[in-house]
Amino acid sequence: MAELTSKERVIKFFKKEPIDTMPVFSGMGTVVIQAVNEMGVKFAQVHTTAELLAGSAMKSSEMCGLDAVCIPYDMATVAQAVGCGLTLYENSADILYPTVPNKWETLEAVNIPADFMKRERMPMVDDAFKILVKDGRFAVGAWQLGPFTLAGQIIELGLLLKGAKKNKEAVEAFLTKMTDIVIESIKHYESLGVDFLNIREMGSGTDLLSPKMWNSLIQPHLTRIFSELKTPAVLHICGGTDMIVPLMNQCGADALSFDQKNTLTKTREVVGKDVIILGNFDPYGTLVQMENPEDVKAVVKKCIDDGVDAVWPGCDLWPDVKMDNVKAWVNTVRECGKKASPAIGRL
Amino acid sequence: MSKTKEEMLKALAEAVVEYDEDACKELSQEVLDRPELLTPMEAVMNGLAAGMEEVGRLYDTHEYFVPEVLMCADALYAGLGILRPHIPKSDAGVNAQVVIGSIQGDVHDIGKNLVKMMFDVAGWGVHDLGRDVPLEQFVEKQLDTNSEVVAMSAMMTTTMLGMKKVIAMIKEKNPECLIMLGGAPVTKDVANLFGADGYADSAGNAVSEGIKMIGRLREFQAAKK
Repeated sequence: MAELTSKERVIKFFKKEPIDTMPVFSGMGTVVIQAVNEMGVKFAQVHTTAELLAGSAMKSSEMCGLDAVCIPYDMATVAQAVGCGLTLYENSADILYPTVPNKWETLEAVNIPADFMKRERMPMVDDAFKILVKDGRFAVGAWQLGPFTLAGQIIELGLLLKGAKKNKEAVEAFLTKMTDIVIESIKHYESLGVDFLNIREMGSGTDLLSPKMWNSLIQPHLTRIFSELKTPAVLHICGGTDMIVPLMNQCGADALSFDQKNTLTKTREVVGKDVIILGNFDPYGTLVQMENPEDVKAVVKKCIDDGVDAVWPGCDLWPDVKMDNVKAWVNTVRECGKKASPAIGRL
Repeated sequence: MSKTKEEMLKALAEAVVEYDEDACKELSQEVLDRPELLTPMEAVMNGLAAGMEEVGRLYDTHEYFVPEVLMCADALYAGLGILRPHIPKSDAGVNAQVVIGSIQGDVHDIGKNLVKMMFDVAGWGVHDLGRDVPLEQFVEKQLDTNSEVVAMSAMMTTTMLGMKKVIAMIKEKNPECLIMLGGAPVTKDVANLFGADGYADSAGNAVSEGIKMIGRLREFQAAKK
């Protein structure tokens, strides 16, 4: 059996070509505190320079034995670039992801600068992608929030949710604007040579929105985004998704990703064998909280038995992982992932 | 024809369920105009809050989702704004204060606002610190106000861990203060581990839990009579 490089494995995976074994990677923030500590910097710093962002991504994947790197780590890059500010929590002793302190209070007040891709940390993120692509050891993933979730970073979420019922046309127009931003940014990452993309519409699960609203308000924008992309692209939604799996599957993504709330066996039945499914372990509950790596192994095996094509965490890795638990995730996938998965054959 | 007491309570509840802010305002004003019919406190607890309980049921059965719940909350507040000033302190049931906020690093506050609604309905003194609240502020505000309860929410795992520190700081200075935790990542085990006194046991949201608390409060008020 020919052994593939990490990058080859992930690229072939998304092309649905036979591979040697299941790749181990994530399409969400993948940084561990052990890597940050070894670099001798604080967590707040890794979001601020291309060298630290790319360096911590590569160091994390090296230490964990992953096939890909994925940046950025925080949800605030675009919101900051369009003028919402940034809180880095530099003085906090805890691990806190950057957030935006200011949100617009009405839809009408939102004013997106045309050159947002050149503002604040956006050029820094570009440079980090360039470093990762040039390094070449790992497949490179880029993620972006979906239009609805991005909108929630820029204006009050309550305003958006109530507006979706009361002021549908204005919300619709606003989401079109958000979709334009998502497409512009993600196509730009595509042009930098990344290997896969992930659209995270994580605020749109059925904890918040009805399937009917998802169909009318969310799906058309996601469909437009995926129709614009040439690079393999994943659609990830966390929280309640069981009721919207068929709708997600109609958006044109190359793969679907779910968190631990999804009933994966049912999802596999609904979408059939040909669709790439990624998921769905709880990253905090599994990699941080579990005391025994054997328990991690059982969680990972269950994901595979339930029908995933690659075992993804349901969200960003919580950086303060136990390294033994990460090894258990990686080793179990390497061991059990030699068999073909539903959508991907083996060499 | 004038409404009977039962019809008035039903109409108030329905106005909340149907997220009709105008109807909530009109009906609440009618309650004040007809003091012989029912007290403002009865109108709040058995009209508006009863409606919100039904909203909770509709949310649990996936007939309502968060947009509807938020609009129902607006309707409830529209009525509460009119009725609350007319509830005598002695009738308010609970004479207590709560410090509430979303913890540092967390800019989500929908769940927190729904839990806050429960305290507003109950007539508590509410000190809302907002969202992304530095840990020390919870402690300082509790000490300043001598509030009986501190309620903290975290929507993300990444911010949940800060709660443990706040609990330790508050309990050290005021062991009598009750701590409530809520939010998506908070489980009973986490609450116990952190030393909290209560938690919103919703794995996915604080929505139904906040509303269920209104139900428990109504039972408590009824039992007192």
